[in-house]
Amino acid sequence: MIEVKDLVKRFDGFAALDGATISVPAGSVYGLVGPNGAGKSTLIRHLTGIYRQDTGTVRMGGEDVWENTALKARVAAIPDDWYYFLQSTVRDMMRFYRGFYPRFSMERYEALKDVFRIEEKRMIRRLSKGMQKQVAFWLALCCMPDYLILDEPVDGLDPVMRRQVWSLVLGDVAQRGTTVLVSSHNLRELEDVCDHVGIMDHGKVLLERSLAQLQDTTVKLQVVFREDREVPPPEIPVLHASRIGRVHTLIMRMSAQEAEARLAAYDPLLVDAVPLTLEEIFIYELGGVDYAVKDIVL
Amino acid sequence: MQSRTSFFNGTLLRKNLTRFWPLWGMASFVGALFPLALVMELLRNRHFELTQIDLAGAYYSVASDVVPVLSLIYAVLCAMAVWNYLYGARSVSMMHAMPIRREGLLATGFLSGMAMMLIPYGVTGGLCVLVSLVTGAFSLKALLVTVLVVLGESFFYFATATFAAFLTGNLFAMPAIYLVLHFLEVILDSLFSVLAQGFLTGVAGSYSGALEWLSPTVYLENTVWIDRVVEERLVNQDPYSSYYDYVTTEIHLRGLWIVGVYVLVGVALLGLTYLLYRRRRSESAGDVVAAPWLRPVFRVVVTLLAALPGGMALYEIFWRSFQYSPYYQALPMAVCMCVAGLIGWYAAAMLLAKSLRVFRGSWKGAVAVMVCCAAVCAAMHTDVLGVAARVPNAEDVARIELRVAGNSYTLDAGKEDALIAQVVELHRAVVQDLDYLREKETERYNQAILQEDAERLGETTTWLWLKYTLANGQHLMRSYELFLTRERMAQAGTYDYLLDALVNGEAMKAVRLHDGDPDYTLTGGYVSTDLGGSYDLGSREAEAIAAAVRRDAANGTWGTYEWFDSSDAHDYAINMELTFEYQEQDSSGTSYTSTDWITIRVRPEMTETVDCLLRLGLVTKADLVTRAELYPEDYGYDAVQGEGDGAVLADENTSVAVVG
Repeated sequence: MIEVKDLVKRFDGFAALDGATISVPAGSVYGLVGPNGAGKSTLIRHLTGIYRQDTGTVRMGGEDVWENTALKARVAAIPDDWYYFLQSTVRDMMRFYRGFYPRFSMERYEALKDVFRIEEKRMIRRLSKGMQKQVAFWLALCCMPDYLILDEPVDGLDPVMRRQVWSLVLGDVAQRGTTVLVSSHNLRELEDVCDHVGIMDHGKVLLERSLAQLQDTTVKLQVVFREDREVPPPEIPVLHASRIGRVHTLIMRMSAQEAEARLAAYDPLLVDAVPLTLEEIFIYELGGVDYAVKDIVL
Repeated sequence: MQSRTSFFNGTLLRKNLTRFWPLWGMASFVGALFPLALVMELLRNRHFELTQIDLAGAYYSVASDVVPVLSLIYAVLCAMAVWNYLYGARSVSMMHAMPIRREGLLATGFLSGMAMMLIPYGVTGGLCVLVSLVTGAFSLKALLVTVLVVLGESFFYFATATFAAFLTGNLFAMPAIYLVLHFLEVILDSLFSVLAQGFLTGVAGSYSGALEWLSPTVYLENTVWIDRVVEERLVNQDPYSSYYDYVTTEIHLRGLWIVGVYVLVGVALLGLTYLLYRRRRSESAGDVVAAPWLRPVFRVVVTLLAALPGGMALYEIFWRSFQYSPYYQALPMAVCMCVAGLIGWYAAAMLLAKSLRVFRGSWKGAVAVMVCCAAVCAAMHTDVLGVAARVPNAEDVARIELRVAGNSYTLDAGKEDALIAQVVELHRAVVQDLDYLREKETERYNQAILQEDAERLGETTTWLWLKYTLANGQHLMRSYELFLTRERMAQAGTYDYLLDALVNGEAMKAVRLHDGDPDYTLTGGYVSTDLGGSYDLGSREAEAIAAAVRRDAANGTWGTYEWFDSSDAHDYAINMELTFEYQEQDSSGTSYTSTDWITIRVRPEMTETVDCLLRLGLVTKADLVTRAELYPEDYGYDAVQGEGDGAVLADENTSVAVVG
């Protein structure tokens, strides 16, 4: 389990993290989403022991991460801009990782050769960005981590390789109980792989739930009121409302049953609950903190 | 290979060595050239002999002179290689995400760097040992001493480079900080000395070296020295070609304690580095200064380094031509220093903030800079510390080097105590008249007194240069342009009087001729006349002439410096030099034979010397003609006038000029 509590990190007075709290259940795939500058990468750097927090706690499996080599030996991370030594080949970097991670599996390394199909003796700097990302996955998975921390992990990968990589990661989750935290802007993809989601903004985690819970507690309703009502009743808590013709689309933070029950009091002509995507949840949740897509007239 | 400990990682060590092999490989190659050159010399010249002492001398020369400089430069290159991961956000993230503690990274990185430092020395040293074994000149003691020096200095320099590496987050700032750490004392000492010279009368020397131990390279170069025990031996005992030569019988490297002290300093710096790393924030990659508490120190150092030379440069450009005395004027200098200081202050702020927008809200710091600059100028102008008035006590002096009246002298405590006391008394008298000197200098600077008028009024100037070496090892240098008058010279207690008493005293004349000084050996010289004769002197001829000059000195006809007329019009047209040899040691302690010579101006009243020259057949009676008689047009006489004036000028005594 990954637990971050009241995490604060300031850079020259600017609070990149301002009391962020997340809780990632063991063996889950946790999607960390948020707008640019929300603090996702900063939080990830705390999880991997790169940054030391100003205040708050960062723990994995009940242990503090900072300078905890035993714990870090069970954590593998792939940052958005993976670093490798300039003159090194894949095999050189493998040897380097093998020297640090006690559980590095050569057996897996050999097995994954067939998956990634990259020449071991090629200089990494001569590989394409997508291939470099594959190398990062190759090595990270060979470390046999209990915790896998991924920052924009599949950027640059082709669709087939994306599916392949996710398949490997989810395989580890299923077989070894690996806990995965992934930060990405690709919400459509996260929706497919994550079972928990946290939404960050301005250094705080605004919302954190399991995906099912999130989809259960936020509902999108299409409603047609009777002719005498042109706007939704003000007493109904609506995250977002729009209207096309006489059809109102309302996003409400409650279950579909509860929302339908509350709208029933206004005797609508039509009430229909439709599935809500993660992207919609992200946009409408952040709309509450002034992050709605603005209609800009040029 | 998986590491079992979090304090060291073999993989990282190997990676560092394999990544940066071109650096230590190239250094090893360059180092190997020296023993290889020796091998080539041995192959080419079969008669080339290498003794144990020669080899020990070569080792010690390298240890005392070469290793500090090489290590200074090479350590920073190794540190830039090993710690370069600290300076990139991506690399520092990767290394700090690895399962190894900061201590482990520090220890492994340091060992990697030390290995890179020592491999070239090892290669070079190993080859040297092989060569020495081949020639049979192997010296175990010299080898061990040199190895210890190399180990100690390599450790110290790499520790300081590592310390500098952790002060910054910027690869380009790192060598700059390293060099400033090593030479800040020398730089500031020199800058303040130059500034003091501009403000204060008599202050000389652009470097005092008072805290030289803070500049390890300079201090090591000056403190670790080679002690050679030298004997004069008959060489090549062949009846036709034998000669005496100085032969080194023992050789030792002295001052090694300082290497030990610097090793301890290196250990302390490593401890500080560890603390710095524990507190270092990975996000400081790219920052000029990595530790927040160090930012004010950085700004102050940059401001100092800008204000002092910058202020003096601005003064030279904008104010020098307006000043009314040879000394700096406090107010314009303060303005110039403020401008330069503010430039440094804000430049440092820009470097720290990585932004040009640093002016808002920083007025307090700017005011502090201006106040400090004004305070420095005021302190210099008023000589708050009493630097200009400082005269050491005679009993605290170990040696005085003196240049006056065209001669240079070295007076050592224990040998020339009375003369040292005289010099100190003279110096005190000069210091008491500093206001008078400044007034005279200002008058002359403004050309209120023309040189011809001064001479007509019986005034002249002379330079007095003094360098004290005190018993505690400190040095004090002063240089005065003294204004002399006949009136003051006749007045007891004035510096004019004391100067004349010193320079024209019998004891100083004896010092000039190294009379009775066992350290100096008269070896020869030459005599030539303007009418054509020229002879090299053997040691016996030189001894005879020196004895004659001594008799003339005793008779009062040689050695008196005439302050108000140094013309050679009434010298005989004879050029004569006597040459002395003596043993000296350079700054590293290496002994060598040095030469000193004295130019004797021969005048008609020097009857003993003239007789001696005639007796030895070095001159004839025809050569006894004065320069005024020989070249009347050069001295403003015609032949008739010259004869008439000759009687007047013949009273004046002979002067001597010695160039050491």
